[in-house]
Amino acid sequence: MPPALEVKEINKSFGSHRVLHEVSFAVEAGEVHALVGENGAGKSTLMNIVGGIHNRDAGELLLKGQAIDPADVWQARQLGISVVFQELSLTPNMTVAQNIFVRREPTKALGMIDWQRLNADARALFEQIGVDISPTELVGNYSVGIQQIIEIAKAISFEAEVIIMDEPTSALSESEVDRLFGIIADLKAQGVAIVFISHKLGEVFRIADRISVLRDGEMVGATKPAESSPDEIIRLMVGRSFDDLYPPKGVVGDEVILEVRELSHPPLFHDISFSLRKGEILGIAGLVGAGRTEVARAIFGADSYSSGSIALAGERLDIKSPREAIEKGIVYLTEDRKVMGLFLSMTMRENIVSAALGRFVGALGILQHKEIAAESGRAMQRNDIRPRDDLLSVNSLSGGNQQKSLLAKCLSANPKALLADEPTRGVDVGAKVKIHQALRDLANHGVGVIVISSELPEVLGLSDRVIVFREGRISAILAGDNISQAEVMRHAVQ
Amino acid sequence: MQDAQAMRAKQAADAGLLRRFSLETLQVGGLALAIVVFAIVVQLNFPVFLSLPNINVMFVNFLPEAIIALGMTIVIITAGIDLSVAGIYPFSAIVVGLLMLAGAPIPVAILLTLAAGAVVGAVNAFISNKFRVHPFIATLAILLILRGVNIIITGGSPVSGFPEGFAIFGQAGIDMGGFTLRYSVFIWLGLALLTGYLLRHHRFWRLSYFIGGNRRSARMSGINVERYLVFVYMLSGTLAAVAGIIVASQFNAANNSYGQNLELRVITAVVIGGADLNGGAGSILGSMLGVLFIAMIYNAFAMSGISTYWQDVVVGAMLLASILLGEALKRRRA
Amino acid sequence: MIKLPGLPDKSKALLNDRSVILALLILVISIALSLLTPAFLSSRNLTFVVTGMTYDLLMALGMTVVLLLWGIDLSVGSVLGLTAVVTTMLLQDGAAIPLAIGLGLGVSALCGAINGFFVAYLKIAPFIVTLGMMSVARGIATVLTSGYFVSGLPDAYKAIGQGRLFNVPYMVYIALVAVVILALLLRNWRPLREAFYIGTNPEAARLTGIRVAMITMGGYVFCSLMAGSAAIFMTSRLSMGFFQFGLGAELKAIAAAVIGGASLRGGTGSVIGTTLAVFLLALINNGFVLLRGSPNAQNVIMGGILVVAIMIDAYRRRDRDED
Repeated sequence: MPPALEVKEINKSFGSHRVLHEVSFAVEAGEVHALVGENGAGKSTLMNIVGGIHNRDAGELLLKGQAIDPADVWQARQLGISVVFQELSLTPNMTVAQNIFVRREPTKALGMIDWQRLNADARALFEQIGVDISPTELVGNYSVGIQQIIEIAKAISFEAEVIIMDEPTSALSESEVDRLFGIIADLKAQGVAIVFISHKLGEVFRIADRISVLRDGEMVGATKPAESSPDEIIRLMVGRSFDDLYPPKGVVGDEVILEVRELSHPPLFHDISFSLRKGEILGIAGLVGAGRTEVARAIFGADSYSSGSIALAGERLDIKSPREAIEKGIVYLTEDRKVMGLFLSMTMRENIVSAALGRFVGALGILQHKEIAAESGRAMQRNDIRPRDDLLSVNSLSGGNQQKSLLAKCLSANPKALLADEPTRGVDVGAKVKIHQALRDLANHGVGVIVISSELPEVLGLSDRVIVFREGRISAILAGDNISQAEVMRHAVQ
Repeated sequence: MQDAQAMRAKQAADAGLLRRFSLETLQVGGLALAIVVFAIVVQLNFPVFLSLPNINVMFVNFLPEAIIALGMTIVIITAGIDLSVAGIYPFSAIVVGLLMLAGAPIPVAILLTLAAGAVVGAVNAFISNKFRVHPFIATLAILLILRGVNIIITGGSPVSGFPEGFAIFGQAGIDMGGFTLRYSVFIWLGLALLTGYLLRHHRFWRLSYFIGGNRRSARMSGINVERYLVFVYMLSGTLAAVAGIIVASQFNAANNSYGQNLELRVITAVVIGGADLNGGAGSILGSMLGVLFIAMIYNAFAMSGISTYWQDVVVGAMLLASILLGEALKRRRA
Repeated sequence: MIKLPGLPDKSKALLNDRSVILALLILVISIALSLLTPAFLSSRNLTFVVTGMTYDLLMALGMTVVLLLWGIDLSVGSVLGLTAVVTTMLLQDGAAIPLAIGLGLGVSALCGAINGFFVAYLKIAPFIVTLGMMSVARGIATVLTSGYFVSGLPDAYKAIGQGRLFNVPYMVYIALVAVVILALLLRNWRPLREAFYIGTNPEAARLTGIRVAMITMGGYVFCSLMAGSAAIFMTSRLSMGFFQFGLGAELKAIAAAVIGGASLRGGTGSVIGTTLAVFLLALINNGFVLLRGSPNAQNVIMGGILVVAIMIDAYRRRDRDED
């Protein structure tokens, strides 16, 4: 019998960036097949292709041996493949039952919805999977965890033969995870094929029949939990060659620039304490959702925190807005350059000087364009942004050059401490090297630099010390010889 | 991000009492309560206020707003807006009049006029979809064009002298002794019940809430959002044409000056009635109560004679108050 | 970008600029009108055109700034009406002219501050806030005057709108100065430069350290003040105040600003573009008057131009989206 779903030699690139290379993968009916890999290994892209969101460049999709080609999510679902996305597709302002059965509501004459049957169907569905959710409650009144379960119920309601769950437990509490695993066991017993994408290895080993590891867009191994161990999986996940493209480490001074004490904002992060020294690059590693970005934003004043203290060069700060942070010398390089970082339709010059306009005003707030142009020109040169024409709109730049512009913007504010969140996300190797060098130069000039990154080699290659986050807490602070990929991964996932 | 959502959801769970009722129930209920209180206060001062003839006057005066608000409600639920109704309304009054004067039989004139309203609505949706501009701008352009067209085709003077049979739509009615209960009130009532029922129960009509609530997820569910919006704006245009035909019959004349600021009165009523300009929320019942409330305010001030001109202030203040209230409720719950 | 094969790059860029298109249109219409009717080029007629467009221009300039900030202000017409009524009533009661003007502008600034407070600090949709203010301000103007005209204004006040220099009303010069100053400020003044950032990406602007709320609030105050200034000119020129002044002006102002290059999605807007758009609309209106067409056909033209502007904008955006 052919496998329930088979993916054959899939290739996919976004622009010049290769995301998937000759990926093959199969899941049998009645099997839970876990797909693991680091952030950015290509797991979500693979599932988006299966679910009909992205087109593949090459390769085949086979459902029970038959070639399929879903045009969109809806079609994929009708074929029997349901993807449960991380981002919820529910509408909070409507009831649970309506959300599950949108466009498939049972109707009476003339297309009138048969509410009784609709709610009964939903109730039956919930009974089948053994959860207690009211079909008539508005979705928005349920927690994200329950919403995740509703989303899964919706996937099941399509009588799917293959259900793909993308990080389904990321927003679930312990008891909700148990409930989900119960549902998965039932589905398995009914012969549904399940693809379980996660980077929480504990869960993977608990639920999976088979584990496939994806690394840098290639399938690097498939194994059974009984024949493997978390350590082996971690080795497969991170087993990338550790290149020496990173700049030499610097000399870290003793002077503390940024001191964070017991910073808490439940449930996002708890008791975060660390210090950043002059000339140091401090790496922060951890899984997506471990609270790294949240802490950085709290230090920057973009979000609030409940308790704890922050001091800059010995002076205790009470920052309430990013503006105050920038004035004090704390600058945050945002992880999402398009939504929160850059002004895409504006020129590079306008972007580069945006955080530093205060330095270029004369009397009555009149801007000094000459000095702005000079500063922008210098920044273009220093960060090697191409094309070297700062009157082009940022839109027209490549990802790498956009990211360099974002860095240039942060630098033009003359930071004492720079919080760089995913500073090289989605950029090519060349730009990566330049950005790494720029961060190191900055540290060598006495700035304290924090690098938050989901790419382990980057954190390791760049940092003088590494803080590992797990579920909103610091699980380890590593220095010197203790810094290794396996060590960091161990503290991040276990 | 998801953790933040989790936190919000937790706070929502703590909100207790407020959570027992849906936002819609609270808003519509609050509005209904405000209407009752207002009616009692006015009634105590002006005993004619709640007399049947006066209630009838209120209905007749705000019938166009009430009919147009039906379409506007659905437009706003889909996160849109339709300013062009204030142009379609006089336009269709004029068109139906000119057609009849040109000798078209009454049913033909009416059908053509309704079709014209639908076409204008389709154009609104086309511009907004095709050029990806906010419906505000698209319908503003059409409003301006229609206002000009109305003046050009009438030469600026009223069109009048319609066939006698036409009176049935806006003038004629049942003699109730003391006042005439016009047939047009039944037209409105029928349309309101129909749209209200469909919007609550019909599979296709309910999609408007999905489109307004989460457009991305609507697309993912395979809904053709653009085509749906064409339907919604056509509906809004057709209903505006219905209102125009009724007013032409009511005054036995059509004038290009009909419907000044009508779009804003209608939007105000719909928003007071609990519709969310960000889409995803709104109800026909709420909108009708919103129109009723505005009609009562205008009527009460007209009756009081002391401060005839406070009506706009009160309506505007009501709008702001209801928005603030809605926001406060949302924040408490979310 | 509009594809024009065969033309060198520079002229392509030139044609892409909204202001250039508008200027060309103005030129074409002017030439056509002067050929069609000799009355057009008379100094009397031209003065009439530029005087008549002053009010629209001031309001459209204010609207440009609000649109730039990704906002909208539906209340400007009503604020004009309210300011007109307040100022003229104060004058009628014998208040000193500077005091009356100051208080009138103060009232308009207050309206703008309330709008701005709701939008910037309470984060309520500008459309609703200003829709409410539209009713409230118009209502108060109505209540204050009970619907009557306010007249009997001092001559010195009337001189503001009726006085002339070189046979052109003062207010035209004042409006021109306002255009030049605002154009310069929009290029060079930090808060207005920051308005571009806010309108383009408010969240990024906040993370960049820009005072988003304060500048947004300032934008609404400015917009209302421009409406208030229009009210001063209008009342002094017409020698009276009336609660219905400025009725429907908000849609005209929005249309002009959008034709001039502003977008409802914020982040764009040009003083020159808006000015040319107002001028273009005034010319078209004048053409209809001179050629004894229906003067109100300008609405059709304005709507038509708006549609064309939308199409050009969509065309430009399409290229951008493809990047």
